Amino acid sequence: MAPASSMEKIKEFLNSQIYDDDKWAVNSKLLGAAGLFAGSILFMRNFGDLMAI
Amino acid sequence: MGSSVGDAAAPPLPPPPVGLAVALPPKAEDKSERKVDYLNLPCPVPFEEIQREALMSLKPELFEGLRFDFTKGLNQKFSLSHSVFMGSVEVPSPSSGAIKVPTAHYEFGANFLDPKLMLIGRVLTDGRLNARVKCDLTDNLTLKINAQLTNEPHFSQGMFNFDYKSKDFRAQYQMGNNAFYGANYIQSVTPNLSLGSEVFWLGHQRKSGIGFAARYNTDKMVATAQVASTGIVALSYVQKVSEKVSLASDFMYNSMTRDVISSFGYDYILRQCRLRGKLDSNGCVAAFLEERLNMGVNFILSAEIDHQKKDYKFGFGMTVGE
Repeated sequence: MAPASSMEKIKEFLNSQIYDDDKWAVNSKLLGAAGLFAGSILFMRNFGDLMAI
Repeated sequence: MGSSVGDAAAPPLPPPPVGLAVALPPKAEDKSERKVDYLNLPCPVPFEEIQREALMSLKPELFEGLRFDFTKGLNQKFSLSHSVFMGSVEVPSPSSGAIKVPTAHYEFGANFLDPKLMLIGRVLTDGRLNARVKCDLTDNLTLKINAQLTNEPHFSQGMFNFDYKSKDFRAQYQMGNNAFYGANYIQSVTPNLSLGSEVFWLGHQRKSGIGFAARYNTDKMVATAQVASTGIVALSYVQKVSEKVSLASDFMYNSMTRDVISSFGYDYILRQCRLRGKLDSNGCVAAFLEERLNMGVNFILSAEIDHQKKDYKFGFGMTVGE
């Protein structure tokens, strides 16, 4: 079971990050925070005028 | 001879503006065609203030309990301040995160403000002394001194900063106790973009670090990014929606402690009040209101609700004097 191709290596890496409980706890926090940051930037740039007085 | 040929070849003048064209502002396309003068770039913000818009909007001084501040100006340059606080303070503890410690203290302060020299001192009832000095040695060189002295041994700190400001760059050299030495440099690269870098050396622990920062700002927005060899990545974005309203967002990741936090907040600066609120990725919602009741009298409300840790903090207070 030698992971020869790079696609398999990527899949192996992703599986190890998602299915491992400890790593997933950290990664889900990271994804949530990054999602909040990116989502808030998109909101500010596109709908920021809605919050103007 | 040459002039008549030149006149015949000159393009016809545009007709004078009529009607609405007189009232409306001229088209903005001439702004983008202005060539960038790379020898006349604006001076960048100081390196430690690279995220100042985001910090001002997203990090108000939230507190729990009662706070009362009174500032009395004795003359144009000198003022005294009295501050009372009764409430809980979070003290970081190694065992279970932060623990709340009920605290009550009175703080007496004296400020001397001169265009070239600023002296600020604060002393608390538990024996702590804070002192800050800012002195303009020349037009471009500034000396800043920060000191916190305590009764407990080995907890006092002091720091000397020398800031040099030039036309389009700033440099700073820092020396602190515990053999701390640091330097940073920030340069304007384009009228909107400035890049900076810092290095530091901790003598007693033989640790050194390097960091890089970038700041891009236009009239409407400011975006900053900071990376450090201590494993910290900090990004921030502030959008100035109008004169009175700013929205800000920031993201911080510490790869050593695997800690990540992101927050999104608003800042409404109105005539009679300033309202700041934010939402965190840790499930924490906070708001801070400063309401101007009268000339020099401000009423303060602070609230922080942490849904995850079920921690609710509310504070109120009053500030009298400028």
